[in-house]
Amino acid sequence: MIAELGHFALITAFILSLAQGVLPLFGAARGNSAVMLIAPAAAISVALAVAFSFGALVWGFITSDFSLALVANHSHSTKPMIYKISGTWGNHEGSLLLWILILAIYGGVMALGGSAMPMALKARILAVQGLVTTGFLAFSLFTSNPFLRLATVPLDGKGLNPILQDPGLAIHPPMLYLGYVGLSMAFAFAVAALITGEVDRLWAKWMRPWIMAAWCALTCGIALGSWWAYYELGWGGWWFWDPVENASLMPWLAATALLHSAIVVEKRGQLKSWTVLLAIMAFSLSLVGTFIVRSGLLTSVHSFASDPARGVFVLAILLFAVGIPLALYAWRGPQLVTTADFTLTSREGGLIANNMLLVVATAIVLLGTFYPLGLEMVTGARITVGPPYFDATFNPVMALLMVFMAIGPVMAWRRGQTARLRPVLICAAAGAGIVALAVSSFAFGFGIGPLAALGLIGWLGAGIGADIWQQLKPNGTASFGARAKRIPNDVIGMWVAHFGIVIFMLGAVGDNLFNSEHVVRAKPGDVIKIADRNVTFTGVKQVEGPNYQALAAQLEYRDKDGTLFALLTPEKRVYNAERQTTTEAAIRPTLRGDDYAVLGDGDSKIGYTLRLYYKPLVSWIWGGAVIMALGGLIAAFGRQRAATKPANPQQNPASALSAPDGGA
Amino acid sequence: MSQMRLSFLLPLVAFGILALVGGMALYGTLSGSRDPTQLPSVFVDKAAPQTNLPRLVQTGSAAGNNISVTMFQGQPVLVNFFASWCAPCRAEAPALEMLSKRVAILGIAYKDRAEDTTAFLQQYGNPFQAIGMDADGRTGIEWGVYGVPETYLLDANGVVKLRHAGPLTRGVLEATIFPALEALGS
Repeated sequence: MIAELGHFALITAFILSLAQGVLPLFGAARGNSAVMLIAPAAAISVALAVAFSFGALVWGFITSDFSLALVANHSHSTKPMIYKISGTWGNHEGSLLLWILILAIYGGVMALGGSAMPMALKARILAVQGLVTTGFLAFSLFTSNPFLRLATVPLDGKGLNPILQDPGLAIHPPMLYLGYVGLSMAFAFAVAALITGEVDRLWAKWMRPWIMAAWCALTCGIALGSWWAYYELGWGGWWFWDPVENASLMPWLAATALLHSAIVVEKRGQLKSWTVLLAIMAFSLSLVGTFIVRSGLLTSVHSFASDPARGVFVLAILLFAVGIPLALYAWRGPQLVTTADFTLTSREGGLIANNMLLVVATAIVLLGTFYPLGLEMVTGARITVGPPYFDATFNPVMALLMVFMAIGPVMAWRRGQTARLRPVLICAAAGAGIVALAVSSFAFGFGIGPLAALGLIGWLGAGIGADIWQQLKPNGTASFGARAKRIPNDVIGMWVAHFGIVIFMLGAVGDNLFNSEHVVRAKPGDVIKIADRNVTFTGVKQVEGPNYQALAAQLEYRDKDGTLFALLTPEKRVYNAERQTTTEAAIRPTLRGDDYAVLGDGDSKIGYTLRLYYKPLVSWIWGGAVIMALGGLIAAFGRQRAATKPANPQQNPASALSAPDGGA
Repeated sequence: MSQMRLSFLLPLVAFGILALVGGMALYGTLSGSRDPTQLPSVFVDKAAPQTNLPRLVQTGSAAGNNISVTMFQGQPVLVNFFASWCAPCRAEAPALEMLSKRVAILGIAYKDRAEDTTAFLQQYGNPFQAIGMDADGRTGIEWGVYGVPETYLLDANGVVKLRHAGPLTRGVLEATIFPALEALGS
């Protein structure tokens, strides 16, 4: 009964979101405020209806209602409760409903807030959001109904893919979707602006928190996915350039470019058409990601529930959601062109360099992901593009980006350098030299790539440090504390986020250069040396899990002096319901580095294969990502740096929005 | 002015091309005409290229330090090009495991490092009778490999009978590999 109510709520949401998508557009065009006010009311109702529907589906999973086809196919009565709940989005239909839920919640929050915005702008934004929601609701209702009942109820479910039964993967999709779907808000802002052909600084100011929220969630979501791959695939790697990973990286790169270019629109009223295009691109790339993952066109280790028939529907959504805005852009874009009133060596110039490099990086990933498919269509040849391509193309672009990252923030708006530029440049160069020399002096034989990476870490770290010191150091007029207080939150957020990249790079380089790996066939009692540790393999034990049987190797880790400091137990698990084997790596993460052990095949006679790693600084990779997201949060919320010409939204929001822009 | 307007059309055109490619791929997959097994090889019904590669030295293997196709003279052999960095290769590991019970498989690690290959085999199983390291991809060029994974079936005389580019899925096994194996009496 509850499932039927959930299905009914989903149908209701579809009708309401259609109303939300169509009526306010007419209202805004006619200036009819009564019709425009339908938008927030409908958006909140859609959010409530979808939330009810999603709750009904979760209930089906919690109560193991195997009369529902989805529950029967993806759940099992013996599964731990957390995986019963997370199993709701561990499949195509359920994850689509989660996607819609987050879309609807974003719409609802927008409807509740934004009271300072002109009514027509808000109505149009909500309408665009409503149209996107309508498309996905139709996708769910017509091709992927999660509430289908089975004629004959099975005794138990088929279970969830064991590799997905993992706490990291329970929260990874919701986090990633918060990011993907959050970009729909920036998209809605862009399309609303294209409908009227007007973009001004307030528009960017209102859009920026949405971009930042989406970007932070996307950063965390990608980091979680990478972390999951690290410990679950038992492979020791943390990024594979897999199509599904690329699908999440592309919107992230575009969103990073967008949040930087939106600053230029907000502070200076420049780069308007470019920012609008980036906003469309960022969300389009999240849709493309969905298309790749769900249509099964590209082979991936991550993809589940792929079905070409569903791909048709996603392609149709993609054609409407990207084609129409880009057509609007071709029509309205030229109206948004401003005359550049800044020199190349200005803050604007630095941000343009940032945007160019990020867009090139996006294009590189897009090409690497789609080129095999394109080539196959043209010549019939099938190729695989792997890490060699990305290492040779993506990394240099990112390195150049890091060079600019230290300089850009100390440039002045409009033209020329500030007094801060010279000391920051000197410090950054010194930092680059010191780090590269220091590390290569105690460990020889690096190639040019790692050496450049080390130099960049020093360059950016010292550059940020010098910038902070320049802004904080006491001078005649203000004390340390007084100057610290005056620094706006978005500057602090920028420092934190850029510093997160330094931390991330330290992790990536540390793992890449100093990682030790040892593969052995060991019998109980054997001692294996890895890094400066002695590992004693004392044997294997049978372990009984809630829904699996496991063989666990017992590994005693001792340091140089022979003191026991850790016991690691990597497992090979056989899941009862699914009859699948997985390897569970045992990891002892510390700030200095991770001990990582994997149990392979073998028996007591010939011994067991053990794969042991010591991975220095590897946790810093994800720590850096979290610090980046934290920086985004600090920058998004809190006191902002004043615009060069202060705009007062309270004064007259409507006229402020439609007033001709200074540079136009 | 008109030139500037054209530049604003560019994103739409680029998207149109991308959508067309995606649509064609989808149409091909749906209608069943996008079938990687139809890929021709210049070597079909000709002798496989001379191949001599350093062996991926493994514990307990005292055989020679090089592998060659002639090692398998007198029996059919599957030659599988793979790499640890290739995601589809992980997907086809179970299929190779199954095939290894019916036919000898020679693995050629394409543009891969020995330690990565070893780790890959630990993780996904080793169905190969022998593994050659094609570190610079030269052998791949000689065979005309489009990309990993790619599989060739050679008869007892070392003549290429079949080439399959892309991962070996259940469908591929049943539609092409098994019939070809049966034709060779294996």
